[in-house]
Amino acid sequence: MNVSKGTPRVEIESTQSGVEAEQRLPRRGLLTAGIAAGVGSAAASLLPFFGGRASAATSSTTGDASTTSTVPPKRPTEDDTTLLAAALEIELTAQGLYVRAIQTVDGWTEAEATVMTTLRQAHLAYGNSLSGLLGKSAPSTRDEALFNQWKSDFSGGTADVLKKAAELESSLVASYLDVLAKLQGLNGASLVASIITAEARHSTVLRDLAGVTDEAALLVDNEEASLLGNG
Amino acid sequence: MSNETNLPIVSASFDRRGFFRIGGLTVATGAIIAACGNPASSAGEVGRVGTGATQPTLLDPIVDNSVLLRTSASIEWSIADAYQRMLDAGNLAGTSATLPDLGDQSDLVSGFLDQHRKAAESFNALAQEAGGEAWTCGNPRLDSAFLDPIFARVEDGAAATDTAKEIPPSDDATRDMINLVVTLELLSAATSQALVPQVTEPSFRAEAMRLATRSARQSALVSLRINPGAYVTQTDAQNANPAATTTTVAATETTQDIAAPDDGGTTAPAAPPQTEIPLPVAIPSQYGSLAPTIYIGGAGDENGVRLKLNFETPSLNSFVYPFDACAEG
Repeated sequence: MNVSKGTPRVEIESTQSGVEAEQRLPRRGLLTAGIAAGVGSAAASLLPFFGGRASAATSSTTGDASTTSTVPPKRPTEDDTTLLAAALEIELTAQGLYVRAIQTVDGWTEAEATVMTTLRQAHLAYGNSLSGLLGKSAPSTRDEALFNQWKSDFSGGTADVLKKAAELESSLVASYLDVLAKLQGLNGASLVASIITAEARHSTVLRDLAGVTDEAALLVDNEEASLLGNG
Repeated sequence: MSNETNLPIVSASFDRRGFFRIGGLTVATGAIIAACGNPASSAGEVGRVGTGATQPTLLDPIVDNSVLLRTSASIEWSIADAYQRMLDAGNLAGTSATLPDLGDQSDLVSGFLDQHRKAAESFNALAQEAGGEAWTCGNPRLDSAFLDPIFARVEDGAAATDTAKEIPPSDDATRDMINLVVTLELLSAATSQALVPQVTEPSFRAEAMRLATRSARQSALVSLRINPGAYVTQTDAQNANPAATTTTVAATETTQDIAAPDDGGTTAPAAPPQTEIPLPVAIPSQYGSLAPTIYIGGAGDENGVRLKLNFETPSLNSFVYPFDACAEG
């Protein structure tokens, strides 16, 4: 029967397939295809325009790159870690010296006691902040050599201790300025900067509390030496 | 009656199919027009309709090390200029009803002025090292939006308007000016501190902070002149908790109860009276703060409200860009 009709099943199947294809691509489909073609041709025609923009942007980027410095890292680098660890040990030392002075020196007035304990807590807070920044690599002990060097200065009369504490604060500021000149990481630099601003005020307050009236001394015209040496 | 009508629904003629049809035609038309254009003649140009003045070319506000550093210089110049204005007016030599024990602070502030001029020159040297040009006048934004209004309000008051009565000159110019000195010293220190994470070179950071230490100490000293004995904030003092110092260390070292200290025969100086103008504290916070510094001054308006401004560290609207220049004269 198939032979007499002369129509192979394959062709019928082929026709059916064509119907299905027409069903999948109705007028809506044609419109969609037209839109796609339109967008494509529009994009192609606009290529010179966008091409010009892209090359301008590229040259601009190249120009910027030649004049812009490398962005510093946020996290402390390996060298930063060494510097900040040293700063942390110094802070713990300072805190220990304040503790010693508060506990061993007699005759603190209320104002003096308040300032001394506040500064003790401040140094502890700075140590904790540095420790948080350093993570596992943070040292947890003070610098014993430095502590022994200073501890005799943190005993005796209150006025003398206050003046010595002011010197220590000035040394801390000098130390941090040394550290800041070498730090690469921004997080460490920001923290150190916020500590410097506060510790600078400590010297003025301690000297005022000790009865110093000389403005040059109160404003620390001559900063003490850094505790970090030149290393 | 009924509101029903037999009018055709208009939206029926704009269904999805219609949308696609119109969209397709539009895009295809656009493609044809774009293809017919001459790309060589209009590449990189925005199309224009009609004639008119050409659009002005705005200069690129690039923020780099030199911009940041000369902005810091501009802040220092503004502070120095403000101090010079105070000294010229003699405000710091006068007596203050609010702060009767203040005394003449002209010499102190004169020293501050010199220090800020030196700081400005140092910042300019750094800006030049960073490839920029020196800035030799005050910060335009700080001057126009903060310092000029403060001086105007303190010295002249404010004229009456349709909705507000006249405000007289300050009831205590000396108080307002010395409070402005504290504010500007805090601003100077905070500006340098804020600079640290913005500049890329460690040497710039260290020099900025070296200058900041001086401003920080000046703020502490002038705070103590205004409010003697106010060394730390109540909050910091309470957090330090002096009563808890008898801890667990060696028994021989825990004998002093610092909560009940010996008076030592010294009496704390009398604090100025509390007013709506906050009194400064020598160490205002445990860390250096970048928070705005509030300044309150001048005479109150008809409701007693004084001029109140927040001084903040420089940002995009107060940077001194390469295309900025000092005003003539």
